[in-house]
Amino acid sequence: MTNKRLELPQGTLDLLIARAVALEPLHGWAISEPLQQISGDAVHVKQGSLYPALHRLERHGWLKAKWAISENNRRAKYYELTGQSRKQLEAETVAW
Amino acid sequence: MLSDLTYRLRALFRHQRMEDELQEELQDHLEREADKYRKAGASPEEAKRRARVAIGGLEQVRQHCRETRGTRLLEDFIQDLRYAARSLSRSPSFTVVAVLTLALGIGACTAIFSIVNAVLLRSLPYRDANRLVYLFTPNRNFKLPVETFNPSNADFFDLARLSHSFSSMTLFQQRTYSFASQDAAVRVGAAQVDGNFFSTLEAQPEIGRGIDSEDAQPGQENVLVLNHALWQSMFGGSPDILRKSLLLDGRSYRVVGVMPPEFGFPDIDPGYRNGAVHTTQVWVPLALSLRQRADRDDGDGFALARLKPGVPIAEAQAEMTVIMARLDLLHNPAMRGFAAFVKPFRDRAVGPVRPLMWLLLGAVSFVLLIACGNAANLLLARAASRTHELSVRASLGAGRSRITRQMLAESLLLGLSGGLVGIAFAYVFLHGLLRLNPGNIPRLNEAAVDTRVLLFTVALALLTSLLFGILPAQAVSRVNLVEFIKSGGNRVSVGTRNHLGSGLIVTEVALVVVLLAGAGLLLRSYVKLESVNPGFSQSTVSMNIQLEDNSRPPEQGRAFFLNLLDKVSAIPGVKAVGAVDDLPLSNSENLTEFWVDGYANQKGQLVEMRNVTPGYFAAMSTPLFAGRVFTENDMSGGPSVAIVNQTFAKNYLSGRNPIGQRLRARQPDASWKIVVGVVGDMRNLSLEEAAAPQVFEPFWQTDSAYIAARSSLPANELATTVRSTLRMIDPNLAIAEIHTMGDRAYQANAQRRFQTTLLTAFAIMATLLGMVGIYGLLAYSVKRRTSEIGVRIALGASRRNVLSMVLWQGLKLSFLGLLIGLLGALALTRVLTSWLYGVSALDPLTFAAVFALLLFVTVTACLVPARRAASVDPMRCLRYE
Repeated sequence: MTNKRLELPQGTLDLLIARAVALEPLHGWAISEPLQQISGDAVHVKQGSLYPALHRLERHGWLKAKWAISENNRRAKYYELTGQSRKQLEAETVAW
Repeated sequence: MLSDLTYRLRALFRHQRMEDELQEELQDHLEREADKYRKAGASPEEAKRRARVAIGGLEQVRQHCRETRGTRLLEDFIQDLRYAARSLSRSPSFTVVAVLTLALGIGACTAIFSIVNAVLLRSLPYRDANRLVYLFTPNRNFKLPVETFNPSNADFFDLARLSHSFSSMTLFQQRTYSFASQDAAVRVGAAQVDGNFFSTLEAQPEIGRGIDSEDAQPGQENVLVLNHALWQSMFGGSPDILRKSLLLDGRSYRVVGVMPPEFGFPDIDPGYRNGAVHTTQVWVPLALSLRQRADRDDGDGFALARLKPGVPIAEAQAEMTVIMARLDLLHNPAMRGFAAFVKPFRDRAVGPVRPLMWLLLGAVSFVLLIACGNAANLLLARAASRTHELSVRASLGAGRSRITRQMLAESLLLGLSGGLVGIAFAYVFLHGLLRLNPGNIPRLNEAAVDTRVLLFTVALALLTSLLFGILPAQAVSRVNLVEFIKSGGNRVSVGTRNHLGSGLIVTEVALVVVLLAGAGLLLRSYVKLESVNPGFSQSTVSMNIQLEDNSRPPEQGRAFFLNLLDKVSAIPGVKAVGAVDDLPLSNSENLTEFWVDGYANQKGQLVEMRNVTPGYFAAMSTPLFAGRVFTENDMSGGPSVAIVNQTFAKNYLSGRNPIGQRLRARQPDASWKIVVGVVGDMRNLSLEEAAAPQVFEPFWQTDSAYIAARSSLPANELATTVRSTLRMIDPNLAIAEIHTMGDRAYQANAQRRFQTTLLTAFAIMATLLGMVGIYGLLAYSVKRRTSEIGVRIALGASRRNVLSMVLWQGLKLSFLGLLIGLLGALALTRVLTSWLYGVSALDPLTFAAVFALLLFVTVTACLVPARRAASVDPMRCLRYE
């Protein structure tokens, strides 16, 4: 963990999460891993700030969550896009 | 939006499950992260440590996640409530006193509101009642209330034909019938209604049909509609009723319908002449002949109309004014001067009692404010003894707003408990109130604690909590930490809070003074009224008899009553008996135009005209001041004679010997009547109005009369004997309204008794609450100053000094409150003027009594704490110090 880090604006983190789960449902840790890669060295997503964000997105209906058995035979909470947020994401990616 | 709501609800109600899931999710993350490090070659311990570092403060993450649930405020609030409940249950005596105080105020308010709700707010049981209006045709030549002028029949039918503002108009009259039931005849209240009555009110019968235009044709009118209560009580609610016929005044009427329980229009008698009708039990057709319909002088019917949708009342008024200006020209030239007046139905139904309702609400809200003041003072005193606890919490980082919210949670809990107990109190109060029902407040008997009342109570409890909680909460949250720490955690100055408490007491005393002054004035009025000489004896028994509605010759009616009087006077124990057409306090009236010989007669000069038999004045114990009463000779067509009352003699015959003067009535060319006697005044419409001029003439023709009898028999025994006497003459006739004149006087004062009792009860409650308030403040202040007082005594202050010091502290506040309250009362009692009788709103005696009473109350309240202060043992105090 570096001390020098750039706080991500909330919208950016939301978009990063959305893009991560766009392809398939993922659990929290699986979302956090590629986030480190996408953002590379420029920004660092603190793992701890991921969960409040996930829960907020779930509360507002952008993500839906379900509990499922993961590859190592453990229960994990999987997040995926809702239909509404998928459309929104496509629109915003185009706008980028 | 929806997902947000369900999420928040889940967070609230599945709190534990969400916590578990959060825990599981984070645990899963940590293990996966640790796995990653293990695979990279770290030891299991090291891997776990690095995973925890990577996530960055597990507890903080959890807290952040909880905050995203959007239920933080609510959860804090629930926590505050729990804390408040715990802390209140630790001081039960405080809690009980505070809750009871508030419950008293809230309960009284709720009870009064449930009355206001029934009388003013609850919608009338007629569809779209706001579009219903009464139509009147006031004549400027007669100085009478506008609402005594019902349109004449011809005017009514012309208005119906010419106007466009109304979708429907109806004409109805009130009267009573003798109704022959199984064993005895009873009197029923009735309305004669035209074919549009039920459709104008948009009222549907419960079974059968209403009265239609075909019924209202002469010859077709032998049908009737029953009210629900009569159907239930006399016919057991059987649907067979629709095949039955009933005898009213000896005539057969076929039952065609029954109205539902909530429909009882016309209910409370809207005018003169039908004093006997309090509830309408049957509706029969008003079948007017063509000649009656064209009568432009006569009109006994009330005109009710329904405004067309979108037509404002002003427009209807304007249209009616124009039409009446034309119709006025068709009237007898001597009578012309008719105009139009459109009055909203609701105003007529409840208008007269509206001010009383507001008065009661105003007075009871004062009681609630005083209760709030006491609760606030209790909270302040309690907060002061908790300064230590609050200071510790503040030093540990509790923010000011957090402490304020904490205190408010406590007051909220107290307020809501007060509301809950208050609802129980309200039931008790309401029960008592309904027993005081004076009978002339429409729908008062329907007052109940319904949903609206409960909502009101909840809102009131919330408002109250805020009202008595906010000041103490603010004062308490202003903890002086520096002082606290300097004092080593022992004592903190509470100077400002004491100012607040004193301010509350001053306000309370001021409110108490206003209520006491108001109640005092009403009490004085009531006492004055009780001592009024009504002009008749209280013990005289009166009863009403109405002949059947057959067009019998007038002589026959007179003969019937004279025969009955003869028989009644023969009953052993009867000392005097007489008959009159319109009895005092029977809400009946007969006003006649008259002219006095040798007097500057005015146009439209009216007098109360009475038909009496010779024995009437003796039966009423009304004194004869000059001349003589009527004789048998006067009754049987002797020379035309009249008797006048004192007020008449004073107003119209002053400066002359009234005996032998001449007057004529009804028509300007009628024959002269010679005044043969002057009798004492009798109060007629109410006991509060001075007697009006009255002229009596010999009993000559009537189909309805009151019998008045003075006897040594108990009233009910006399009534039974008269009833059996009557049955021997005519078994179809019923006696109604059997009351002693004293009962009538009591009933006439019922509304005054109602308002006086209520206001007095409020004033007593307020005084007691105020007393408790003063006592509480002083007791607390003495307790707080115990050591100071101990020092004073040790330094040589005498017990007397200490006693007077504490007394003076209470009296100072009381005087200030008294001063403010008296000023307020001087301003506010003015609104009472219309409720007062025989006292001025600034009655010095009342104000002096309030002053003395309050002084006494204050001294009583101060005495216990003052004596406690004086008995402080200096040794013990100093040792404690």
